[in-house]
Amino acid sequence: MEPIRVDFRDQISKNKWKSFFLMIIIFVVFVLFGYVISMAFEPGFFFMIMIISIVFSISYILVSYYNSDKIAIASVGAKKASRENYKQYYSLVEGLTIASGMPMPKLYIMKSGQINAFASGRDPQHAVVCVTEGALEKLEKRELEGVLAHELGHVASYDMKYMTLVAVMVGMIAIISQIFLRSLWFRSGDSKDKGIFILIGVVMAILAPIVVYFVQMSISRKREFSADASAVKFTRYPSGLINALKKINKDVIEPEKKVSKAVAPLFFSNPFKGLSSTHPPIEKRIQTLERM
Amino acid sequence: MIGWILLGIAIVIGFVFFIYYNRFAVLGNRIDNSLSQIDVQLKRRADLVPNLVETVKGFVKHETAAIKAVTDARKALIGAQGVEDKIKADNHLESTLKTIFAIAEGYPDLKANTNFLELQRELSSTEDRVAYARQFYNDSILSYNNLCKTFPGAMFAKIYGKKEREYLQITEAEKKKVDVKF
Repeated sequence: MEPIRVDFRDQISKNKWKSFFLMIIIFVVFVLFGYVISMAFEPGFFFMIMIISIVFSISYILVSYYNSDKIAIASVGAKKASRENYKQYYSLVEGLTIASGMPMPKLYIMKSGQINAFASGRDPQHAVVCVTEGALEKLEKRELEGVLAHELGHVASYDMKYMTLVAVMVGMIAIISQIFLRSLWFRSGDSKDKGIFILIGVVMAILAPIVVYFVQMSISRKREFSADASAVKFTRYPSGLINALKKINKDVIEPEKKVSKAVAPLFFSNPFKGLSSTHPPIEKRIQTLERM
Repeated sequence: MIGWILLGIAIVIGFVFFIYYNRFAVLGNRIDNSLSQIDVQLKRRADLVPNLVETVKGFVKHETAAIKAVTDARKALIGAQGVEDKIKADNHLESTLKTIFAIAEGYPDLKANTNFLELQRELSSTEDRVAYARQFYNDSILSYNNLCKTFPGAMFAKIYGKKEREYLQITEAEKKKVDVKF
């Protein structure tokens, strides 16, 4: 039976909408949690918690956001790729910037036998793209092009900005729940009606961080599907990306010690196989691509 | 009280007018930009040809007809007006180049020449880029046309006098497979 065809533009917008609604969920959890705490404690205390968590979360994440390109590159020890040595790499990306109407990102190369790539940067004007040496060696021209197009898709969709926003909210919820739980030790003699809110608050403090973590992972997966569809939009050639994914599936995975968990979500495919669920399973990605 | 509400509504409406005006401007500019991008790539192709001709002449003494075809095609490309004609001229240039490259197969010295290989690679790469530029041009037209046809953009399109634009077509002649003649 013929698979139902999917238009890549619809795929992009569908996944963007899904990630938007998931973000609303996180926001709602945040608001609910705040409400419960404010009922359990006095409003003044609540505002204090809010402000502390906002300040910590935002300042930490803003610093890493504005320097996301430099941080990502430095954390994996990537080197700038010279135009003379990496003609095809440059040539492919240049073609893709024409197809996507984006400015040229800075290109980097990373020592690794694995086939992988990532993109970072707060907007297309400050973007970096990095591929592994394994990718350059093991992939054919059109497969490499598919991978690069996927990364440019992330840049074009401002995914770094988006995921940072999500991370801020998730971080705030985690911090708030920590402060709330610890502050319970210092409370004494509360009235009975506050008791129920304290109970709900404790339950939320334990569950909310876990729930929003999984929502965050789900958002990440939606953005990955969207980036795959963007790759098709730029190259109009799903087979390139499909074959690259098939090769990655068969690739022998050596444990990568250098890749930190913080950077893992940026990568094209899980540098840790089976661990983090920031990416959809490769089979599912191939299936979706084959319908375009 | 009523006065403030009306003022608020007026501001919101004004804002919406402003947003759509700008959106039309941005998308229209994107189309013009992508047109000039096509020009940039076509010019690059035209610039590479004389170099290629000189290199080939050095090795291939006899095939003057094929070389003349390339030079003529290049002239036609430079003289072409309007994006449709330019693309047609470029397609013709590409077919004459294919002939040259096919001829080169019979001259091992030429095939091994680094200059020739570099030019061949560059010409191939610019052909890809022309294709990408055309693709982006059509994508930009789609975004613009979508805005013109969907609600409420359609309303503003009438107000601002914006019309749908045409896509780049491929003519029937180009779709025919090109034969390589020796």
